Amino acid sequence: MPKVKINDTEIEVPNGTNMIEAARLAGIEIPHYCYHPHLSVAGNCRMCLVDIVGGRGPDIACNMQARDGLAIRTDTPAVKKMRASVQEFLLVNHPLDCPICDQSGECRLQDYYMEHGQYESRLNDAKVSKEKRQDIGELIVLDAERCVQCSRCVRFSDEVTGTGELRLMNRGNHTEIGLFPGERLGHHYQGNLADICPVGALTNKEFRFRRRVWYLRETASVCDGCATGCNIDVCHQEGEVFRYNPRRNDAVNKSWMCDPGRLSYQSVMSLKRLLRAHVDKKEVGVDAAVAEVVRRIRNASSVGVVLGTRATNEANWALLTLVRANLPGARIFWVEGNDSTGLPADKILIDGDKNPNSAGVRLLAAHDGKVGDKTALKDAIPELKLLLVLQDDVVHRLGGMSLPPVIYFGTYLNDTSERAAVTLPVAHTVEQDGSYTNRQGRVQRIRRAVNPAGDALPAYQVLEKVGAALGRAPGTAMPAAAFNTMARAVARLKGMDFKSLGEGGLPLAALPPESSNVQAAV
Amino acid sequence: MALPVPSRKMTTIESAYLLEVVKGLVLTISHVIKNIFDPDHFRTIEYPDMKKPMAVRYRGAHRLLTRPDGKVKCVACMCCPTVCPAKCITIIAGEDPDDPAEKFPVEFDIDMLRCIYCGFCVEACPKDAIRMDTRIYEINAYTRQDMVHNKSYMVNLMEGKKPEAEDVYRANPSTAPAGYTFDEKPIP
Repeated sequence: MPKVKINDTEIEVPNGTNMIEAARLAGIEIPHYCYHPHLSVAGNCRMCLVDIVGGRGPDIACNMQARDGLAIRTDTPAVKKMRASVQEFLLVNHPLDCPICDQSGECRLQDYYMEHGQYESRLNDAKVSKEKRQDIGELIVLDAERCVQCSRCVRFSDEVTGTGELRLMNRGNHTEIGLFPGERLGHHYQGNLADICPVGALTNKEFRFRRRVWYLRETASVCDGCATGCNIDVCHQEGEVFRYNPRRNDAVNKSWMCDPGRLSYQSVMSLKRLLRAHVDKKEVGVDAAVAEVVRRIRNASSVGVVLGTRATNEANWALLTLVRANLPGARIFWVEGNDSTGLPADKILIDGDKNPNSAGVRLLAAHDGKVGDKTALKDAIPELKLLLVLQDDVVHRLGGMSLPPVIYFGTYLNDTSERAAVTLPVAHTVEQDGSYTNRQGRVQRIRRAVNPAGDALPAYQVLEKVGAALGRAPGTAMPAAAFNTMARAVARLKGMDFKSLGEGGLPLAALPPESSNVQAAV
Repeated sequence: MALPVPSRKMTTIESAYLLEVVKGLVLTISHVIKNIFDPDHFRTIEYPDMKKPMAVRYRGAHRLLTRPDGKVKCVACMCCPTVCPAKCITIIAGEDPDDPAEKFPVEFDIDMLRCIYCGFCVEACPKDAIRMDTRIYEINAYTRQDMVHNKSYMVNLMEGKKPEAEDVYRANPSTAPAGYTFDEKPIP
């Protein structure tokens, strides 16, 4: 653990930390373009030049490993002048088309000009013009003029996706990034290129001109596209979601997310959303539908319940406790599978399991001990008179088997909602608070960014209403209360608290040695 | 908190009011005589046949400027709705595949009922696409909906009319505000 000194702050940092990260830990920002915490160090933008106390001259902080006794200064007049000069060089050929650039508002050139530049232009010559508006991939527009040749995108396609499409071409003033003739970006992580581009050279085609970024509010949440559970910022304005951005979490997704996950924000405003409660295809109010659910549960001689791999931990806990408290004869199942086909699993982020909370359901199944799986449900179907389904498209997952009357608590219109006798609308991931457990067994918070569409409610609140009408409510009106009760009951959630999950989530506790095999599967 | 206003006690002559009434009549009659013999003293403007000439920098109804090729100068950068304190500007941006400017406003609405005529939008515009130099102050309509000025309305607002300010500036460029540029397309 080397001890370094940055300006007047002394700080001990882990071995191998570079000085940009060390300064970040000390609460001092060193401006940089080419350095990215999850890419190799290139050291070509020269923006992070700092003075070494007692050293021969300035050096770049990104390529400077922390070592004992190292002291740097980021506030000397020399450093300030160097930053302004680097900034001036980078802007020599920049077109300054901020009015039509989607990056403005989150552009390093703008930010650092205000912080470190603020010079009068000394440029007399014409700017070198390059090709604007190049369509280089499904999700990316390239504007070669705006590029500052930081090479982050080149390193991303070399190191993260390994596809290596992007290259720096030509020399000197005419250096630009580009692809070989006839080639296009071929990977499913293109959106990250727009994220890591510190300027407006690579922008997101899908978000293009839709909203200025300074209008957007960000809510920290988790992507519900697959079991990886990438941390995201939901960017929204006035109740409308405009994009998902990956949020840094070194334990899960580093700084990345896949394109299908990024585009899954469209599902919030999708026409396939279930917005109203229905009884026998007739639109009714939520309370009337809840009363109908209770009537049918009371009349059914045997009830089956399916936990939801697309539902939050709180909702599954609500369903589990509701059934165990009110319906002693009911049988509980969970069904593995996907509601729709997606990209196959890869080694970067995408998982084959497209449900955000399979691990959470497995954990609760192990806790309960009497939860059947897909085959158990298939065997039990003939005996069941009523099936309660939480969010998963069980009809699709079972391959269209004939089922008893279904009560569906769902977010989308699908095969199950089509067949269901009673449907109740459930809020989307970005419309509710709660938690998901990802494939690594990390419990992560989701947060409400916008209000639920239509009559939708978070599933745990719908189930609270059903439970209250049946006699014993599960006590899950508030997600924090639901989670904390669950954390007290389930061994592997011991010590967790809804608040303590924080921004990055917490891993499940290690298995106690005497645990059953079912639990080991989580 | 209300402050007490010091008041002066009236003198006996004043409190009789007689002299004061005569003083008032003298003032009125003197104006009548002045106006009869010197009609230039008339301060009444016979609106709507006559209009008061507005000051050169008077902020009237907004107009949108066009480029020589007829397209609006505005590139939908959203600076004006951002800076607008009344939140009266609504712009929906779109992409023009044939235009090197790339971005243009599909819709550009200003709710004149909300507008407070502060002129911040004109200040903020990086493209000199919006101006309030029309000197139009008769902004009225029968419905609230008609009080929302849209893109084509604001582009054609000065059709057949000259912005008076522009004339003044052309005649005497030193009166033009700093950084003022004239329309490329002379208005007929």
